[in-house]
Amino acid sequence: MGLPNASADLSTEVEVDAFRRLFPLRFFEKHLLESIRPDARPLGRARDTTIALGAVASANGSALAKIGSTTMLAAIKMEVMTPSMETPDEGCIAIDFHMPPICSPIVRPGRPAEAAPVVAKQLSDTILSSGMINLKELSLVSGKAAWMAYLDIYCLDADGALYDAALLAAVAAFSHLEIPVVSLNDDGKIVLSEEQGLSDNDPVNKEKRKVNLGSIPFSLTCILHKNYILADPTAEEESIMETSVTVVLDTSSQLISLYKPGGAVLAYTSAIQDCIALTRPRVKELQKILEEAVSGMEVD
Amino acid sequence: MAAKPGSAPTTYSPNLGQKTRPPIFKDNDLDWVRPDGRGFHQCRPAFFRTGAVNSASGSAYAELGNTKVIVSVFGPRESKKAMMYSDTGRLNCNVSYTTFGTPVRGQGSDHKEFSSMLHKALEGAIMLESFPKTTVDVFALVLESGGSDLPVVISCASLALADAGIMMYDLVAAVSVACLGKNLVIDPILEEESYQDGSLMLTCMPSRYEVTQLTFTGEWPTPDINEAMQLCLDACNKLGKVMRTCLKEAASASQE
Repeated sequence: MGLPNASADLSTEVEVDAFRRLFPLRFFEKHLLESIRPDARPLGRARDTTIALGAVASANGSALAKIGSTTMLAAIKMEVMTPSMETPDEGCIAIDFHMPPICSPIVRPGRPAEAAPVVAKQLSDTILSSGMINLKELSLVSGKAAWMAYLDIYCLDADGALYDAALLAAVAAFSHLEIPVVSLNDDGKIVLSEEQGLSDNDPVNKEKRKVNLGSIPFSLTCILHKNYILADPTAEEESIMETSVTVVLDTSSQLISLYKPGGAVLAYTSAIQDCIALTRPRVKELQKILEEAVSGMEVD
Repeated sequence: MAAKPGSAPTTYSPNLGQKTRPPIFKDNDLDWVRPDGRGFHQCRPAFFRTGAVNSASGSAYAELGNTKVIVSVFGPRESKKAMMYSDTGRLNCNVSYTTFGTPVRGQGSDHKEFSSMLHKALEGAIMLESFPKTTVDVFALVLESGGSDLPVVISCASLALADAGIMMYDLVAAVSVACLGKNLVIDPILEEESYQDGSLMLTCMPSRYEVTQLTFTGEWPTPDINEAMQLCLDACNKLGKVMRTCLKEAASASQE
């Protein structure tokens, strides 16, 4: 990492680290002139991404997503609720994003990170409006019982692009989700049914079933600095160059969400179009990674 | 569509009823096998990995059976401005649970005392004089609770401190024993903890053979107390060796 050094001189290396800390913007601009970043990535490339499904055994669906060092753990637990009067045959999804103190030096217990509720709201809006989950699939007994899916996403390591990793983990958890088989018992409560041939009626299918996912959203966050567009920033890059644009596309390349929260750099239409152009191949890449993870689970 | 933000609907989990306590403990029937097939004096195989979190000064991940814990250590860093001057360093501990870590959602907030117990377990082992005026923060997150949560958190925390380079007198290993009727069962899982009569948690520094924390709860027949303590000390010794191996592997891997 850092500027290439001909001699392995310790004093020169210390200078590089000091320069990086004291003049971060100049350090990065020296790299941007060569169209490269300190971790040797070209400007438009995202970090290595991996997905592992089924990380939490006690949850109905779970996934661990890593983009570079940023690690997110998402888990879905299903509970039963009474649906509201206006929508008697729809279930509900409750999405929560947490940044526990382990993930970053800026988070303390009792002083939550500023980014946490922002990302939580963004995730909630994107997932519910993308049409990925049809809430009618979460219904059990119309008007009496429906599933409430609690999706909790925990950031285990915060190194930039939190929203991208969180969305990926959430989507992966939904593709791993298995709705358990339940039946209505005599007291009118829903209970897990283990044996087949119960005398109670089965409102749901006979075996554990997966949720049908509609169009799956994938995202890419880019930061803008002067004329440069850097895809998938690390935490260090985000703290220096504060203008970011997040583009969410679905698998058919339809735009689901575009988010540019202020920032010093004004984005002209061309910059936005460049960001969208960078997002399209990234969506294909993420889709492929997700499909590999899902098919890897099914072989087991 | 969309979640209804105003109302928080009450929900319940469609789980089957509570498992009833096996009757053997009243009859001292030794044919009972532990749910995961272990011997009464056998601990779960331990998996440790340091360097789990890049943003932290030091971190460790521990997995014993279904209990999964991540601990991050930050520091030594500036104490809060409101703190008074201190010649010795400060230790700040916090243990939290994920909402999905417990079988019933949200049960993790029942364990608020774990933060202070972690603090007491570690403070005897850390050389606080080596970082005056500053604070070392130890944060633990229990990803999944499978029984014996606090001992796993303590062992994992001492590995994370070692990974962060905080000076300590020795590693800290912790093990708990459950008293089920007349039987002593080491490293209980969640189910066994729910019907235990008493529990002992022992935290010690294995190489120094010194105990940093000892916690007894419940009903204990007197002769069993000594036996339980000896069991714990032996298990801590073995756990200490596993932790040392983990650190050595991490150190040699980083040298390559």
